[in-house]
Amino acid sequence: MPDEFLIAKELHKSFSEIKAVNGVSFSINRGEIFGLLGPNGAGKTTTIRMLATVLQPDSGEVTIGGYSTHQNAPKARSLIGVCPQDLALYEELSAIDNLVFFGRMSGLDGKEAKEQADINLRLMGLEDRAKGKIAKFSGGMKRRINLAVALMGTPEMLFLDEPTVGIDPQSRNSIYEVIENLRDKGMTILYTTHYMEEASRLCKRVAIIDGGQMIAMDTPTALKSQIGDPDKITLEDVFLHYTGRSLRD
Amino acid sequence: MKNLTHIWFIALKDLKLFVTDKTAMFFFVAFPFLFILLFNTMMSGIGAEDERITLHVLTRDDSGTYSQMLLEAYETTEESKLDPDDHSPIIIWLKDIDYATAKQQVEDKTLSGFVAFPKGFSADIETFKNEILAGEKPLHFINLDSQLEVIVDPDNTDQQIALNGVANIIATQMNAMQATMKSTALLADDPTDAINTFFQQLNTGQWAKDLPSVNYQTTIVGDVEAGNPANYVIPGYLVMFTFFAALQGGAQIVQQRQNNTLERMLTSSVSKEAILGGTFLGIFLRGLLQITIFWTLGSLVFNIDLGIAPAAVIIISVLMVLMSSACALMLATLIKTERAADGIATLTALLLAPLGGCWWPLFITPKWMQFIAKITPHAWANNGFNKLMVFGADFSSVVPEMIALLCFAIGFGTIAVLRFRTSSIQ
Ligand SMILES: Nc1ncnc2c1ncn2[C@@H]1O[C@H](COP(=O)(O)OP(=O)(O)OP(=O)(O)O)[C@@H](O)[C@H]1O
Ligand SMILES: [Mg+2]
Repeated sequence: MPDEFLIAKELHKSFSEIKAVNGVSFSINRGEIFGLLGPNGAGKTTTIRMLATVLQPDSGEVTIGGYSTHQNAPKARSLIGVCPQDLALYEELSAIDNLVFFGRMSGLDGKEAKEQADINLRLMGLEDRAKGKIAKFSGGMKRRINLAVALMGTPEMLFLDEPTVGIDPQSRNSIYEVIENLRDKGMTILYTTHYMEEASRLCKRVAIIDGGQMIAMDTPTALKSQIGDPDKITLEDVFLHYTGRSLRD
Repeated sequence: MKNLTHIWFIALKDLKLFVTDKTAMFFFVAFPFLFILLFNTMMSGIGAEDERITLHVLTRDDSGTYSQMLLEAYETTEESKLDPDDHSPIIIWLKDIDYATAKQQVEDKTLSGFVAFPKGFSADIETFKNEILAGEKPLHFINLDSQLEVIVDPDNTDQQIALNGVANIIATQMNAMQATMKSTALLADDPTDAINTFFQQLNTGQWAKDLPSVNYQTTIVGDVEAGNPANYVIPGYLVMFTFFAALQGGAQIVQQRQNNTLERMLTSSVSKEAILGGTFLGIFLRGLLQITIFWTLGSLVFNIDLGIAPAAVIIISVLMVLMSSACALMLATLIKTERAADGIATLTALLLAPLGGCWWPLFITPKWMQFIAKITPHAWANNGFNKLMVFGADFSSVVPEMIALLCFAIGFGTIAVLRFRTSSIQ
């Protein structure tokens, strides 16, 4: 029996008449990278925001590390780190200031925050730019800082919402390595992306979501076998098979 | 405890953002001083620094004696004998024109103003003297303060301030003299001699020279620095720009709501209360920084005078910052988008500034404007500063202004907290 670190049950969320998330349930095992795939507007970010206790679900339940996000939000928050899809950084502050600030916000003391900030900057290969202003960074560098901030406070679980969007293959590869490294150390990760090869490489299991609903969930290989020969079929084919070819908003 | 450290670090971060933001620093710190420089020069006229102020006095007393004597003592007879280093005013006794003519001249703006001794002034003193000599304790002092009349062109602030100062001094001196006489009369075995000596001095105008009258006068007129418009120009801009900066800070919170940093804070272990408190403290600290710079530069560069109760000036400044920060927080919790917040912040700040007397002193505006101005917290702050720094008031006389500012702060703060509690981040 695998150790379920995160359990989401029947999540619903509407914004006026848009049903952004419409009955999504899944669980993520400790130490697993779980991929959440879906076209634009599928409800991935909305799901993550509910899991991260930023957004109150209309109905449904979330438990993280045994704590209900509804009844014990502070405890649940202390276990998670979030790398949001949109950069969440103070552009006018330096990289190190951003890391230290959010480190302190997650409960670290001054010394710990400084130490972790140094470690995470080195992890992202940005130790030389520690004092540089975020506003002066390239898109890829900002993305890496965005991820580094999520690691502050040694969370047990990460929510990574399209962490590699808009960056070059070099940066992307270095991010993959970081993530695999974290997984090897036992980190539980929820990962959303549009890049299928990324999901194939990293995720143990993936869920495909569209129109706020879960359509398929399994290991990449199992999903591929469902529609043909897993050696010839890519995850992209599976994705298109389930979500169709029409354009989304 | 955790909340407190969070509050402190959020505030510190906001302060850092402010200090590293060169545009904001220019706009809220350097820019106001350009304004101040401009208005200060405009309001002081040309060469006001070296110019001695000329004041006019007259008496409506036909019977003569005392008020005539007094004026003779006060009058500047030889201008060349005035100490060039002190800026004591030239005092001219209007002998050739009567009260009505002088008043008409003020209305026609050919005369800037004058202090008039009332009709019956000398008779009053005579009565007073006789009462004392008769051994009756006078039950009342003749209150010259209310009887001396100051007629002045409302557009001429320098004159307004200086003439009021002169009237005050004369009144104070007369009161002091009465008190001395009264006590002498009570203490002496035979008061008659003592009293007669006093009135003899009064008749010859001797007392006015003996009493530290001239010095006294210089000190008081000097105290309120009638010639330094910076004493009301700087507080005005201080009020305008601390309020403006605070509201911009409020708009920044809205911006953070949009750029996800607020959301990121919420996913760490920060409580909503700590975010609210930290943001408030951040805006408050920025304001304190601003007023420190304002008062320091004001004193060093513009030679402003904080008056006899500098503590009151500081307290009003701090309350002004507190009120502005609360207002900013209210704005941030009421408005959804950054653009709207920016616009509303700018508009509110620019509208309330002239209404509340930041661009020109309220004491030169018509009564109805002064009345309407009271709806703005700015007017209370400005009135407080004017009382202290222009009219030389003491601490207790600005307590109402302090209370009003505190009430505004509490009102805005309450709305902000209530709104923040019910709002969730969408
Ligand atoms: N705050 C909001 N207010 C109104 N509608 C929203 C809000 N957030 C999301 N939506 C709507 O909910 C739906 C799901 O959005 P969501 O951002 O979760 O999709 P997504 O799967 O993350 O898409 P993408 O891959 O483009 O990031 C969309 O139709 C979106 O317009
Ligand atoms: Mg998204």
